[in-house]
Amino acid sequence: MKLTNLAFRNMRRNLRRTILSTTAIAIAALCFVFLFSLIAGMKDDVRTNLVNHYNGQVRIRHNEYDKYEQLNPLFLGIEDQTAVTTAVEEALPGAYVSPKISFPAAIYLEEENLASLGQGVDFEREKVFQNLEDLMVLGRLPEMGSNEVLLTPGLYNDTGVTLGDTLTFFTQTRGRGANGFSLTVVGVAKFPVQSFNKMTFLAPLDRIQYYLRMGDSVTEVLIRNVEEDGRTSAALLNGIFERRGWNDITALGWMDIPGGVFGWLAMAEQAYNFMGLIFFLLGATVIVNTTMMVIFERTKEIGTVAAMGMTGKQIVKLFFLEALFISIIGSLIGVILGSILTIPLGNVGLNMQDAMEGISMEVSGIFYPVLSWGIVIKVFVFSTVIASLASFVPSRRAAKINPIEALRSE
Amino acid sequence: MKRILLFGIILTAAAALAAQTPSAEEIIRQMEAKSSPETSEVEGRMVTNDRFGAKETSFISYAQGTDLSLIEFTSLEEEGQKILRSGDDLYVYFPDAGRTIRMQGAALRDSVMGSDFSYEDMTTGDRGILDDYTAELKGSESVDGRDCWIIGLTALGPNVPYYTQDIWVDKELLVSRQVYKYAVSGRLLKTMKIQEYLEMDGYLVPSRMIMEDKMKRNSSTEFHIERMKTNVSFSRTFFSHRELSR
Repeated sequence: MKLTNLAFRNMRRNLRRTILSTTAIAIAALCFVFLFSLIAGMKDDVRTNLVNHYNGQVRIRHNEYDKYEQLNPLFLGIEDQTAVTTAVEEALPGAYVSPKISFPAAIYLEEENLASLGQGVDFEREKVFQNLEDLMVLGRLPEMGSNEVLLTPGLYNDTGVTLGDTLTFFTQTRGRGANGFSLTVVGVAKFPVQSFNKMTFLAPLDRIQYYLRMGDSVTEVLIRNVEEDGRTSAALLNGIFERRGWNDITALGWMDIPGGVFGWLAMAEQAYNFMGLIFFLLGATVIVNTTMMVIFERTKEIGTVAAMGMTGKQIVKLFFLEALFISIIGSLIGVILGSILTIPLGNVGLNMQDAMEGISMEVSGIFYPVLSWGIVIKVFVFSTVIASLASFVPSRRAAKINPIEALRSE
Repeated sequence: MKRILLFGIILTAAAALAAQTPSAEEIIRQMEAKSSPETSEVEGRMVTNDRFGAKETSFISYAQGTDLSLIEFTSLEEEGQKILRSGDDLYVYFPDAGRTIRMQGAALRDSVMGSDFSYEDMTTGDRGILDDYTAELKGSESVDGRDCWIIGLTALGPNVPYYTQDIWVDKELLVSRQVYKYAVSGRLLKTMKIQEYLEMDGYLVPSRMIMEDKMKRNSSTEFHIERMKTNVSFSRTFFSHRELSR
């Protein structure tokens, strides 16, 4: 009888054991699919948040701004932002461009001053750049030229205001003087970035330029909807800046920002891969354990087939084939079930907002697992190989046992 | 007999010398009386120097006694902003905010217009130094060629911006030449050096001084008085916080 047929017959004969092994491998494969999809989703999420809400794919700043960023150097801005923005739009048709001013401010409340981070933005542009309208949870977007403000949920709760109330902000001006200004709350937006939702407010760029005595300058211009790494666009823009004599500003692709988020993302990727490896090893332990248990339980059976004249090599091959078939079936069931679980979650999302509360990272509160063929194939191959290889050690050992001793074993 | 006579002479000389050296409290009282005209109107400017360069802010200030003062900023960037001190209360008015705000708590430690002065530095109120501090004569020292007493001040309670201060008081003119301000831990927080005085109607008002906030790196603020008037009459409501927005 062929070894393949014998292996199948053994599987059918010990159906309960076969189901147990298949289930263990299937569960491990299911978990792998889900976790790897979740990790892929988290990586995508961090990348999207960084690009949409922090850096764009290309960031233009004054050459010295980064060096003094902690000191709020508003005077190290992009002087003629209108000209720069126009130049960018001409050079990169189809790109989304977002000029903005970021600044710290204290919100005056009767008993205390509340620390906050302000952004002066062009709301018409942000509708496209940050999909701001989709992020609204209350009220409406401020209108350009008006003394209106959009709060994030953290500030909305901490200040205790309602729509229509006025808040007074203190901040430093471009000339390092002080100013206070009042803005009416017209809306609340919830960003997919938890750290953003704590203390950020957005106000019309033109009003912030006036209150901070910025003239037509901004602290940065962000660009999105260009090639993935933004490097080619940045190089193109730097060439334009050089020709126009704008030597004090530089465009950088988001992956090249020094000490910046790409480094963070690379670090996060390593952390995620490490997490994946841990889960992989845990899963592999389950598979190895189940397979080894099954073979050790069958020592007597090994003795029988050896007594009937089967060679050690044939015994190893028989058990390997049996383990291989079980692994293939288990892994297949696992990746199919894992995909069935992951695909709908990829649309609905996994709400981890409560767990992420207080975590200051560019990660959203809701994770959307991303399933790919790469993950499915990787998990299927890995589970099959691990489970099949796991049969080698015990079956080789069993094959070396004297048939008489094997027959005596309980 | 000769010894007793010699001892008597030494004792008398020491008593005479002690009588000539006023107490720390007396020096402080004389110094305060000499530098605070009843009413004044002052035009001046503050120049803040830090690692990013110099920033100039001009102002007009009005004062009545030691408990009422109003500063109105006149430089372009801060035009119309006002700081009113009424007793222990401090109010700030920003035209762009359209409202008057009472400064309190941690906000009092904020810098005034980015300078080395904090709002807290302006809130001594109508109390004299001796209402908040005990004074001790620590010795003598020359500051910029002027012979000075060193008076050490220690806070009587927690409601003062600086726990201890050392003031160098000019022995001849009875004006302060230099002030060092310390935290409870003994850490030096600020230094102030008075470089020039303006004499008017018998008062000596600091007209040029430099404040350095030691918590800031490479930062100092020069305070200049350009013009000063005394015996100014103010309306009854001039120092009212309700008037700030008008």
